[in-house]
Amino acid sequence: MIRTEIYENALFETIKRGATVISPDVRDAFVRAIEKESNEAAKRGLEATLRSMDMSRERENPLCVDTGWPIFYFKVGNRCELEGGFVELENAARRAVAKATKLGYLRATMKHPLTGYDPGNNIGMNIPDFTYKFVDGDSIEMSYAAKGGGSECFGGTRHRIVAFADGIKGIEKFVIDSFVASARAGAVCPPSVLGIGIGGTANVAANLAKEAACLRTVGSRHPDPMFAKIEEDLYRALNSLGIGILGAGGNTSVLAVNVEYAYTHIAGIACATSTNCMVARRASTKIDANEKVTEMQSPMWFGDR
Amino acid sequence: MAEYHLTSPLSEEDVRKLKIGDTVYLSGNAFTCRSRLQRYIFDEGNTLPFDTSDRNILIHNGPIVIKENGSWRLVSFMPTSSIRFEKWGEKSVKEWGLRMIVGKTTMGEQTAQAMKEMGCVHVSPRSVSPNLWIDSITVEDVYLFDELGSIEAAWFFKINELGPFIVDIDSEGNNYFDRLDESIAESKKNALEQLGIGEEFKFTKLY
Repeated sequence: MIRTEIYENALFETIKRGATVISPDVRDAFVRAIEKESNEAAKRGLEATLRSMDMSRERENPLCVDTGWPIFYFKVGNRCELEGGFVELENAARRAVAKATKLGYLRATMKHPLTGYDPGNNIGMNIPDFTYKFVDGDSIEMSYAAKGGGSECFGGTRHRIVAFADGIKGIEKFVIDSFVASARAGAVCPPSVLGIGIGGTANVAANLAKEAACLRTVGSRHPDPMFAKIEEDLYRALNSLGIGILGAGGNTSVLAVNVEYAYTHIAGIACATSTNCMVARRASTKIDANEKVTEMQSPMWFGDR
Repeated sequence: MAEYHLTSPLSEEDVRKLKIGDTVYLSGNAFTCRSRLQRYIFDEGNTLPFDTSDRNILIHNGPIVIKENGSWRLVSFMPTSSIRFEKWGEKSVKEWGLRMIVGKTTMGEQTAQAMKEMGCVHVSPRSVSPNLWIDSITVEDVYLFDELGSIEAAWFFKINELGPFIVDIDSEGNNYFDRLDESIAESKKNALEQLGIGEEFKFTKLY
Protein backbone atom coordinates (compact mmCIF):
# COMPACT_ATOMS: atom_id res chain seq x y z
CA MET A 1 0.00 0.00 0.00
CA ILE A 2 1.44 3.36 -1.02
CA ARG A 3 0.61 5.96 1.62
CA THR A 4 -1.09 9.27 0.78
CA GLU A 5 1.80 11.39 2.07
CA ILE A 6 4.20 9.55 -0.27
CA TYR A 7 2.18 10.04 -3.46
CA GLU A 8 1.00 13.54 -2.54
CA ASN A 9 4.56 14.72 -1.98
CA ALA A 10 5.67 13.00 -5.22
CA LEU A 11 2.85 14.74 -7.09
CA PHE A 12 3.92 18.14 -5.79
CA GLU A 13 7.57 17.50 -6.72
CA THR A 14 6.48 16.30 -10.18
CA ILE A 15 4.47 19.48 -10.78
CA LYS A 16 7.35 21.65 -9.56
CA ARG A 17 9.85 19.83 -11.80
CA GLY A 18 7.49 19.99 -14.79
CA ALA A 19 7.03 23.72 -14.33
CA THR A 20 10.67 24.63 -13.69
CA VAL A 21 13.02 22.05 -15.24
CA ILE A 22 13.35 21.49 -18.96
CA SER A 23 13.22 17.81 -19.97
CA PRO A 24 16.62 16.52 -21.17
CA ASP A 25 15.27 15.44 -24.58
CA VAL A 26 13.71 18.88 -25.22
CA ARG A 27 16.95 20.55 -24.13
CA ASP A 28 18.94 18.34 -26.54
CA ALA A 29 16.56 19.31 -29.36
CA PHE A 30 17.22 22.98 -28.56
CA VAL A 31 20.98 22.46 -28.69
CA ARG A 32 20.62 20.77 -32.10
CA ALA A 33 18.33 23.58 -33.35
CA ILE A 34 20.91 26.22 -32.30
CA GLU A 35 23.69 24.33 -34.12
CA LYS A 36 21.81 24.23 -37.41
CA GLU A 37 20.16 27.69 -37.30
CA SER A 38 21.38 29.97 -40.09
CA ASN A 39 19.12 32.96 -39.29
CA GLU A 40 21.17 35.03 -36.81
CA ALA A 41 18.19 36.59 -34.98
CA ALA A 42 16.51 33.19 -34.66
CA LYS A 43 19.75 31.69 -33.36
CA ARG A 44 19.98 34.40 -30.69
CA GLY A 45 16.32 33.75 -29.80
CA LEU A 46 16.93 30.03 -29.38
CA GLU A 47 20.05 30.72 -27.32
CA ALA A 48 18.23 33.20 -25.07
CA THR A 49 15.41 30.69 -24.56
CA LEU A 50 17.85 27.92 -23.65
CA ARG A 51 19.72 30.23 -21.26
CA SER A 52 16.48 31.22 -19.57
CA MET A 53 15.37 27.57 -19.32
CA ASP A 54 18.66 26.66 -17.64
CA MET A 55 18.23 29.58 -15.22
CA SER A 56 14.75 28.33 -14.28
CA ARG A 57 16.28 25.16 -12.88
CA GLU A 58 18.65 27.18 -10.63
CA ARG A 59 16.08 29.80 -9.64
CA GLU A 60 13.27 27.26 -9.31
CA ASN A 61 10.87 29.49 -11.23
CA PRO A 62 8.50 28.70 -14.11
CA LEU A 63 9.99 28.05 -17.56
CA CYS A 64 7.24 30.30 -18.98
CA VAL A 65 4.88 32.74 -17.31
CA ASP A 66 1.91 30.86 -18.75
CA THR A 67 1.99 27.70 -16.69
CA GLY A 68 -0.89 26.25 -18.66
CA TRP A 69 -3.68 23.77 -18.04
CA PRO A 70 -2.66 21.27 -15.34
CA ILE A 71 -2.99 17.79 -16.84
CA PHE A 72 -2.16 14.46 -15.20
CA TYR A 73 -1.53 11.09 -16.79
CA PHE A 74 -1.40 8.04 -14.55
CA LYS A 75 0.00 4.76 -15.80
CA VAL A 76 -1.22 2.39 -13.14
CA GLY A 77 -0.20 -1.15 -12.38
CA ASN A 78 -3.18 -3.48 -12.31
CA ARG A 79 -2.35 -4.49 -8.73
CA CYS A 80 -1.28 -1.03 -7.52
CA GLU A 81 -2.73 -0.19 -4.09
CA LEU A 82 -3.03 3.40 -2.95
CA GLU A 83 -4.10 4.57 0.50
CA GLY A 84 -7.55 6.12 -0.01
CA GLY A 85 -7.75 4.71 -3.54
CA PHE A 86 -7.87 6.69 -6.77
CA VAL A 87 -10.37 9.25 -5.51
CA GLU A 88 -7.77 10.25 -2.92
CA LEU A 89 -5.05 10.27 -5.60
CA GLU A 90 -7.05 12.91 -7.48
CA ASN A 91 -7.70 14.88 -4.27
CA ALA A 92 -3.96 14.79 -3.55
CA ALA A 93 -3.23 16.03 -7.09
CA ARG A 94 -5.64 18.95 -6.57
CA ARG A 95 -3.98 19.82 -3.25
CA ALA A 96 -0.56 19.65 -4.90
CA VAL A 97 -1.66 21.97 -7.73
CA ALA A 98 -3.05 24.46 -5.21
CA LYS A 99 0.18 24.34 -3.20
CA ALA A 100 2.34 24.80 -6.33
CA THR A 101 0.19 27.79 -7.29
CA LYS A 102 0.49 29.36 -3.85
CA LEU A 103 4.27 29.01 -3.96
CA GLY A 104 4.53 30.66 -7.41
CA TYR A 105 5.56 27.56 -9.39
CA LEU A 106 2.24 27.84 -11.24
CA ARG A 107 0.37 31.01 -12.19
CA ALA A 108 -3.32 31.11 -11.20
CA THR A 109 -4.46 30.69 -14.79
CA MET A 110 -7.62 28.54 -14.66
CA LYS A 111 -10.88 30.52 -14.69
CA HIS A 112 -14.61 29.90 -14.89
CA PRO A 113 -15.42 29.74 -18.64
CA LEU A 114 -18.42 32.09 -18.46
CA THR A 115 -17.95 34.37 -15.47
CA GLY A 116 -14.16 34.60 -15.58
CA TYR A 117 -14.09 33.82 -11.84
CA ASP A 118 -10.54 33.08 -10.74
CA PRO A 119 -10.35 30.64 -7.80
CA GLY A 120 -6.68 31.59 -7.45
CA ASN A 121 -5.48 27.99 -7.17
CA ASN A 122 -6.04 26.46 -10.64
CA ILE A 123 -8.73 24.13 -9.26
CA GLY A 124 -12.25 24.03 -10.67
CA MET A 125 -14.83 21.94 -12.54
CA ASN A 126 -13.01 19.12 -14.41
CA ILE A 127 -9.64 20.81 -13.83
CA PRO A 128 -7.03 19.41 -13.31
CA ASP A 129 -7.66 16.79 -15.98
CA PHE A 130 -6.87 13.11 -15.30
CA THR A 131 -6.17 10.31 -17.78
CA TYR A 132 -5.44 6.69 -16.82
CA LYS A 133 -3.77 3.80 -18.57
CA PHE A 134 -3.69 0.37 -16.94
CA VAL A 135 -0.73 -1.98 -17.25
CA ASP A 136 0.61 -5.08 -15.50
CA GLY A 137 2.35 -4.65 -12.16
CA ASP A 138 1.89 -2.94 -8.80
CA SER A 139 3.60 0.45 -9.28
CA ILE A 140 2.27 3.79 -10.51
CA GLU A 141 3.83 6.23 -12.98
CA MET A 142 2.56 9.79 -12.62
CA SER A 143 3.10 12.35 -15.36
CA TYR A 144 2.27 16.03 -15.18
CA ALA A 145 1.99 18.12 -18.34
CA ALA A 146 1.41 21.86 -18.53
CA LYS A 147 -0.44 22.70 -21.75
CA GLY A 148 0.14 26.35 -22.56
CA GLY A 149 -2.58 28.74 -23.72
CA GLY A 150 -0.64 29.78 -26.82
CA SER A 151 -0.19 26.25 -28.09
CA GLU A 152 -3.78 25.28 -27.27
CA CYS A 153 -5.82 28.40 -28.10
CA PHE A 154 -4.48 29.65 -31.40
CA GLY A 155 -5.28 26.82 -33.76
CA GLY A 156 -2.71 24.25 -32.73
CA THR A 157 -5.47 21.85 -31.74
CA ARG A 158 -7.66 20.84 -34.68
CA HIS A 159 -9.38 17.89 -36.18
CA ARG A 160 -10.66 16.83 -39.57
CA ILE A 161 -12.20 13.64 -40.90
CA VAL A 162 -10.15 12.66 -43.93
CA ALA A 163 -11.75 10.39 -46.53
CA PHE A 164 -10.08 7.06 -47.28
CA ALA A 165 -10.03 8.34 -50.87
CA ASP A 166 -7.53 11.03 -49.76
CA GLY A 167 -5.42 8.75 -47.52
CA ILE A 168 -1.94 9.77 -46.39
CA LYS A 169 -1.89 12.77 -48.74
CA GLY A 170 -5.06 14.09 -47.14
CA ILE A 171 -3.64 13.57 -43.66
CA GLU A 172 -0.37 15.31 -44.49
CA LYS A 173 -2.09 18.21 -46.29
CA PHE A 174 -4.35 18.72 -43.26
CA VAL A 175 -1.35 18.75 -40.91
CA ILE A 176 0.67 21.22 -42.99
CA ASP A 177 -2.27 23.58 -43.58
CA SER A 178 -3.12 23.51 -39.86
CA PHE A 179 0.42 24.07 -38.67
CA VAL A 180 1.17 26.97 -41.03
CA ALA A 181 -2.04 28.74 -39.99
CA SER A 182 -1.47 28.19 -36.27
CA ALA A 183 2.22 29.11 -36.20
CA ARG A 184 1.70 32.48 -37.92
CA ALA A 185 3.40 35.26 -35.99
CA GLY A 186 4.41 32.74 -33.34
CA ALA A 187 0.87 32.07 -32.13
CA VAL A 188 1.48 28.50 -30.93
CA CYS A 189 5.01 29.33 -29.69
CA PRO A 190 7.05 27.37 -32.25
CA PRO A 191 9.35 25.46 -32.58
CA SER A 192 6.59 23.07 -31.61
CA VAL A 193 6.40 19.49 -30.55
CA LEU A 194 3.65 18.47 -32.94
CA GLY A 195 1.41 15.58 -31.97
CA ILE A 196 -0.80 13.90 -34.55
CA GLY A 197 -3.58 11.43 -33.84
CA ILE A 198 -4.83 9.28 -36.69
CA GLY A 199 -7.99 7.17 -36.39
CA GLY A 200 -10.56 6.43 -33.71
CA THR A 201 -13.47 8.77 -33.08
CA ALA A 202 -12.63 12.47 -33.20
CA ASN A 203 -12.00 12.60 -29.45
CA VAL A 204 -9.78 9.50 -29.56
CA ALA A 205 -7.71 11.12 -32.32
CA ALA A 206 -7.56 14.38 -30.33
CA ASN A 207 -6.43 12.57 -27.16
CA LEU A 208 -3.77 10.64 -29.06
CA ALA A 209 -2.55 13.89 -30.62
CA LYS A 210 -2.31 15.58 -27.23
CA GLU A 211 -0.51 12.61 -25.68
CA ALA A 212 1.86 12.46 -28.67
CA ALA A 213 2.62 16.18 -28.20
CA CYS A 214 2.91 16.22 -24.42
CA LEU A 215 4.26 12.79 -23.46
CA ARG A 216 6.39 11.36 -26.28
CA THR A 217 10.16 11.61 -25.87
CA VAL A 218 11.48 14.18 -28.37
CA GLY A 219 13.58 12.26 -30.89
CA SER A 220 11.66 8.99 -30.50
CA ARG A 221 10.15 7.25 -33.53
CA HIS A 222 6.97 5.27 -33.98
CA PRO A 223 7.94 1.56 -34.22
CA ASP A 224 5.70 0.96 -37.24
CA PRO A 225 7.67 2.06 -40.34
CA MET A 226 4.51 3.45 -42.03
CA PHE A 227 3.93 5.89 -39.18
CA ALA A 228 7.64 6.55 -38.67
CA LYS A 229 7.77 7.62 -42.33
CA ILE A 230 4.92 10.11 -41.81
CA GLU A 231 6.80 11.50 -38.79
CA GLU A 232 10.03 11.87 -40.76
CA ASP A 233 8.40 13.28 -43.90
CA LEU A 234 6.38 15.86 -41.98
CA TYR A 235 9.36 16.81 -39.77
CA ARG A 236 11.41 17.54 -42.90
CA ALA A 237 8.54 19.33 -44.68
CA LEU A 238 7.60 21.55 -41.71
CA ASN A 239 11.22 22.49 -41.07
CA SER A 240 11.58 23.62 -44.68
CA LEU A 241 8.90 26.32 -44.26
CA GLY A 242 11.08 29.02 -42.64
CA ILE A 243 8.61 29.74 -39.80
CA GLY A 244 11.27 29.56 -37.07
CA ILE A 245 11.22 30.48 -33.40
CA LEU A 246 8.06 32.46 -32.52
CA GLY A 247 7.17 32.53 -36.20
CA ALA A 248 9.59 35.35 -37.04
CA GLY A 249 11.69 33.31 -39.49
CA GLY A 250 14.25 30.52 -39.03
CA ASN A 251 15.19 26.94 -39.85
CA THR A 252 13.50 25.08 -36.99
CA SER A 253 9.71 25.21 -36.88
CA VAL A 254 9.12 21.87 -35.15
CA LEU A 255 11.31 20.11 -32.59
CA ALA A 256 9.49 16.85 -33.25
CA VAL A 257 6.56 15.31 -35.11
CA ASN A 258 4.99 12.43 -33.18
CA VAL A 259 2.24 10.29 -34.64
CA GLU A 260 0.01 7.85 -32.76
CA TYR A 261 -2.89 5.91 -34.24
CA ALA A 262 -6.03 3.92 -33.55
CA TYR A 263 -8.13 1.73 -35.86
CA THR A 264 -10.88 3.71 -37.46
CA HIS A 265 -14.30 3.35 -39.04
CA ILE A 266 -14.55 2.33 -42.69
CA ALA A 267 -16.32 5.67 -43.29
CA GLY A 268 -13.36 7.94 -42.62
CA ILE A 269 -10.10 8.73 -40.86
CA ALA A 270 -10.33 11.10 -37.91
CA CYS A 271 -7.14 13.17 -37.80
CA ALA A 272 -6.18 15.55 -35.05
CA THR A 273 -3.23 17.79 -34.31
CA SER A 274 -1.99 19.12 -31.01
CA THR A 275 0.99 21.42 -30.81
CA ASN A 276 3.02 21.72 -27.66
CA CYS A 277 4.97 24.95 -27.19
CA MET A 278 8.76 25.03 -27.39
CA VAL A 279 9.26 24.55 -23.64
CA ALA A 280 7.12 21.36 -23.82
CA ARG A 281 6.75 21.07 -20.06
CA ARG A 282 6.30 17.72 -18.43
CA ALA A 283 7.69 15.60 -15.63
CA SER A 284 7.16 12.01 -14.51
CA THR A 285 7.69 10.05 -11.33
CA LYS A 286 7.39 6.36 -10.58
CA ILE A 287 6.37 4.96 -7.20
CA ASP A 288 6.90 1.27 -6.55
CA ALA A 289 4.73 -0.82 -4.23
CA ASN A 290 7.51 -0.55 -1.60
CA GLU A 291 7.11 3.27 -1.76
CA LYS A 292 10.41 3.81 -3.57
CA VAL A 293 10.07 7.10 -5.49
CA THR A 294 12.05 7.52 -8.74
CA GLU A 295 12.23 10.53 -11.05
CA MET A 296 11.68 9.46 -14.66
CA GLN A 297 13.46 11.25 -17.53
CA SER A 298 10.50 10.67 -19.81
CA PRO A 299 6.87 9.56 -19.31
CA MET A 300 7.22 6.38 -21.44
CA TRP A 301 3.47 6.67 -21.97
CA PHE A 302 3.62 4.77 -25.25
CA GLY A 303 5.83 1.83 -24.19
CA ASP A 304 9.44 2.75 -24.87
CA ARG A 305 8.74 6.07 -26.59
CA MET B 1 17.43 46.67 -40.30
CA ALA B 2 18.48 48.99 -37.51
CA GLU B 3 18.76 48.57 -33.74
CA TYR B 4 17.36 51.21 -31.36
CA HIS B 5 17.56 51.75 -27.61
CA LEU B 6 14.52 53.80 -26.61
CA THR B 7 13.33 55.33 -23.34
CA SER B 8 9.68 55.80 -22.37
CA PRO B 9 7.76 58.08 -22.46
CA LEU B 10 8.32 57.66 -26.20
CA SER B 11 7.91 60.61 -28.55
CA GLU B 12 6.14 60.41 -31.90
CA GLU B 13 9.54 60.93 -33.53
CA ASP B 14 10.96 57.93 -31.62
CA VAL B 15 8.45 55.56 -33.18
CA ARG B 16 7.91 57.11 -36.62
CA LYS B 17 11.52 56.21 -37.48
CA LEU B 18 11.01 52.52 -36.70
CA LYS B 19 10.54 50.14 -39.62
CA ILE B 20 9.35 46.53 -39.63
CA GLY B 21 12.24 44.19 -38.91
CA ASP B 22 14.08 46.72 -36.73
CA THR B 23 15.23 45.61 -33.27
CA VAL B 24 14.39 47.62 -30.14
CA TYR B 25 15.47 47.58 -26.50
CA LEU B 26 13.25 49.50 -24.09
CA SER B 27 13.79 51.49 -20.90
CA GLY B 28 11.62 53.69 -18.71
CA ASN B 29 7.95 53.38 -17.72
CA ALA B 30 5.56 50.73 -19.00
CA PHE B 31 2.32 49.11 -17.86
CA THR B 32 0.66 45.74 -18.41
CA CYS B 33 -2.84 44.71 -19.39
CA ARG B 34 -4.89 41.75 -20.64
CA SER B 35 -8.55 41.29 -21.75
CA ARG B 36 -10.19 41.92 -18.40
CA LEU B 37 -8.71 45.41 -18.02
CA GLN B 38 -9.73 46.44 -21.55
CA ARG B 39 -13.23 45.07 -21.05
CA TYR B 40 -13.45 46.88 -17.69
CA ILE B 41 -12.54 50.21 -19.29
CA PHE B 42 -13.92 50.10 -22.83
CA ASP B 43 -16.98 47.82 -22.46
CA GLU B 44 -18.02 48.43 -18.86
CA GLY B 45 -17.55 52.19 -18.90
CA ASN B 46 -14.92 52.59 -16.17
CA THR B 47 -12.14 55.14 -16.22
CA LEU B 48 -8.47 54.20 -16.22
CA PRO B 49 -7.28 55.18 -12.73
CA PHE B 50 -3.86 56.42 -13.88
CA ASP B 51 -2.25 58.69 -16.44
CA THR B 52 -0.62 57.04 -19.47
CA SER B 53 1.08 60.15 -20.88
CA ASP B 54 4.40 59.42 -19.11
CA ARG B 55 3.89 55.66 -19.55
CA ASN B 56 3.03 55.13 -23.20
CA ILE B 57 4.37 51.59 -23.61
CA LEU B 58 1.71 48.91 -23.06
CA ILE B 59 2.87 45.34 -22.53
CA HIS B 60 0.24 42.66 -23.12
CA ASN B 61 1.11 40.30 -20.31
CA GLY B 62 -0.12 38.55 -17.19
CA PRO B 63 2.96 38.36 -14.97
CA ILE B 64 3.51 36.18 -11.91
CA VAL B 65 4.12 38.62 -9.07
CA ILE B 66 4.25 37.64 -5.41
CA LYS B 67 4.45 39.79 -2.29
CA GLU B 68 7.61 39.20 -0.29
CA ASN B 69 8.52 41.14 2.86
CA GLY B 70 6.04 43.86 1.97
CA SER B 71 7.29 44.44 -1.58
CA TRP B 72 6.44 42.93 -4.97
CA ARG B 73 8.71 40.34 -6.55
CA LEU B 74 8.36 39.52 -10.25
CA VAL B 75 8.64 35.73 -10.56
CA SER B 76 7.99 35.43 -14.29
CA PHE B 77 7.20 37.57 -17.32
CA MET B 78 6.58 36.84 -21.00
CA PRO B 79 4.63 39.03 -23.47
CA THR B 80 1.33 37.33 -24.33
CA SER B 81 -0.69 37.15 -27.56
CA SER B 82 -1.94 40.56 -28.67
CA ILE B 83 -4.26 39.41 -31.47
CA ARG B 84 -6.98 38.39 -29.01
CA PHE B 85 -7.24 42.08 -27.93
CA GLU B 86 -7.79 43.31 -31.50
CA LYS B 87 -11.34 44.31 -30.59
CA TRP B 88 -9.94 47.00 -28.27
CA GLY B 89 -6.72 47.74 -30.22
CA GLU B 90 -7.85 50.96 -31.86
CA LYS B 91 -9.41 52.32 -28.66
CA SER B 92 -6.36 51.53 -26.54
CA VAL B 93 -4.00 53.20 -29.02
CA LYS B 94 -6.17 56.30 -29.39
CA GLU B 95 -7.65 56.79 -25.92
CA TRP B 96 -4.53 55.82 -23.97
CA GLY B 97 -2.17 57.67 -26.31
CA LEU B 98 0.09 54.64 -26.73
CA ARG B 99 3.31 54.80 -28.73
CA MET B 100 4.15 51.12 -28.47
CA ILE B 101 2.44 47.80 -27.75
CA VAL B 102 4.61 44.83 -26.79
CA GLY B 103 3.09 41.40 -27.41
CA LYS B 104 3.13 38.14 -29.31
CA THR B 105 1.17 37.20 -32.50
CA THR B 106 1.04 40.77 -33.92
CA MET B 107 -2.33 42.59 -34.29
CA GLY B 108 -4.90 43.17 -37.04
CA GLU B 109 -5.73 45.76 -39.66
CA GLN B 110 -7.83 48.03 -37.47
CA THR B 111 -5.09 48.45 -34.86
CA ALA B 112 -2.46 48.91 -37.58
CA GLN B 113 -4.61 51.70 -39.06
CA ALA B 114 -4.91 53.42 -35.67
CA MET B 115 -1.15 53.06 -35.19
CA LYS B 116 -0.54 54.70 -38.55
CA GLU B 117 -2.86 57.54 -37.66
CA MET B 118 -1.53 58.16 -34.15
CA GLY B 119 2.13 57.21 -34.45
CA CYS B 120 2.43 53.88 -32.64
CA VAL B 121 4.10 50.52 -33.30
CA HIS B 122 3.73 46.87 -32.23
CA VAL B 123 6.81 44.86 -31.26
CA SER B 124 7.26 41.10 -30.69
CA PRO B 125 9.66 38.93 -28.69
CA ARG B 126 11.99 36.50 -30.47
CA SER B 127 12.53 34.18 -27.54
CA VAL B 128 10.78 32.72 -24.52
CA SER B 129 13.27 33.97 -21.95
CA PRO B 130 11.48 35.12 -18.79
CA ASN B 131 14.64 34.87 -16.69
CA LEU B 132 16.58 37.27 -18.91
CA TRP B 133 13.67 39.72 -18.85
CA ILE B 134 12.78 39.74 -15.15
CA ASP B 135 16.29 41.00 -14.43
CA SER B 136 15.44 44.10 -16.56
CA ILE B 137 12.16 44.85 -14.79
CA THR B 138 11.31 46.46 -11.45
CA VAL B 139 7.69 46.30 -10.28
CA GLU B 140 6.76 49.80 -9.12
CA ASP B 141 3.04 49.71 -8.45
CA VAL B 142 -0.24 48.02 -9.32
CA TYR B 143 -3.71 49.32 -10.15
CA LEU B 144 -7.05 47.47 -10.16
CA PHE B 145 -5.55 44.51 -8.28
CA ASP B 146 -8.67 43.99 -6.17
CA GLU B 147 -11.08 44.51 -9.05
CA LEU B 148 -9.34 42.35 -11.68
CA GLY B 149 -6.96 40.01 -9.82
CA SER B 150 -3.20 39.70 -10.01
CA ILE B 151 -2.81 38.52 -13.63
CA GLU B 152 -5.31 40.94 -15.15
CA ALA B 153 -4.32 43.99 -13.07
CA ALA B 154 -2.36 46.95 -14.49
CA TRP B 155 1.21 46.54 -13.23
CA PHE B 156 3.59 49.49 -13.43
CA PHE B 157 7.05 48.38 -14.54
CA LYS B 158 10.29 50.32 -14.58
CA ILE B 159 12.21 48.65 -17.38
CA ASN B 160 15.89 48.78 -18.20
CA GLU B 161 17.07 47.71 -21.68
CA LEU B 162 14.22 45.19 -21.96
CA GLY B 163 14.48 43.31 -25.24
CA PRO B 164 15.30 42.46 -27.92
CA PHE B 165 11.94 42.95 -29.64
CA ILE B 166 11.32 43.04 -33.37
CA VAL B 167 9.10 45.78 -34.84
CA ASP B 168 6.24 43.87 -36.51
CA ILE B 169 3.78 46.72 -37.18
CA ASP B 170 5.34 50.07 -38.01
CA SER B 171 3.67 53.49 -38.05
CA GLU B 172 3.09 53.25 -41.80
CA GLY B 173 0.85 50.23 -41.24
CA ASN B 174 3.31 47.64 -42.61
CA ASN B 175 3.26 44.20 -41.01
CA TYR B 176 6.44 42.09 -40.76
CA PHE B 177 4.43 38.87 -40.57
CA ASP B 178 2.38 39.68 -43.70
CA ARG B 179 5.68 39.89 -45.59
CA LEU B 180 6.92 36.65 -44.05
CA ASP B 181 3.62 34.93 -44.98
CA GLU B 182 4.47 35.40 -48.65
CA SER B 183 7.77 33.51 -48.39
CA ILE B 184 6.21 30.83 -46.15
CA ALA B 185 3.42 30.30 -48.73
CA GLU B 186 6.08 29.72 -51.38
CA SER B 187 8.02 27.21 -49.22
CA LYS B 188 4.74 25.51 -48.33
CA LYS B 189 4.05 24.85 -52.00
CA ASN B 190 7.48 23.22 -52.34
CA ALA B 191 7.05 21.21 -49.13
CA LEU B 192 3.71 19.85 -50.34
CA GLU B 193 5.17 18.98 -53.72
CA GLN B 194 7.94 17.02 -52.05
CA LEU B 195 5.26 15.02 -50.27
CA GLY B 196 3.61 14.32 -53.62
CA ILE B 197 0.74 16.72 -52.94
CA GLY B 198 0.35 18.89 -56.01
CA GLU B 199 -1.64 22.09 -56.32
CA GLU B 200 -4.46 20.10 -57.92
CA PHE B 201 -5.10 18.19 -54.65
CA LYS B 202 -8.63 18.76 -53.28
CA PHE B 203 -10.02 17.21 -50.11
CA THR B 204 -12.97 14.89 -50.69
CA LYS B 205 -15.80 16.84 -49.14
CA LEU B 206 -17.36 14.84 -46.31
CA TYR B 207 -19.33 17.62 -44.62
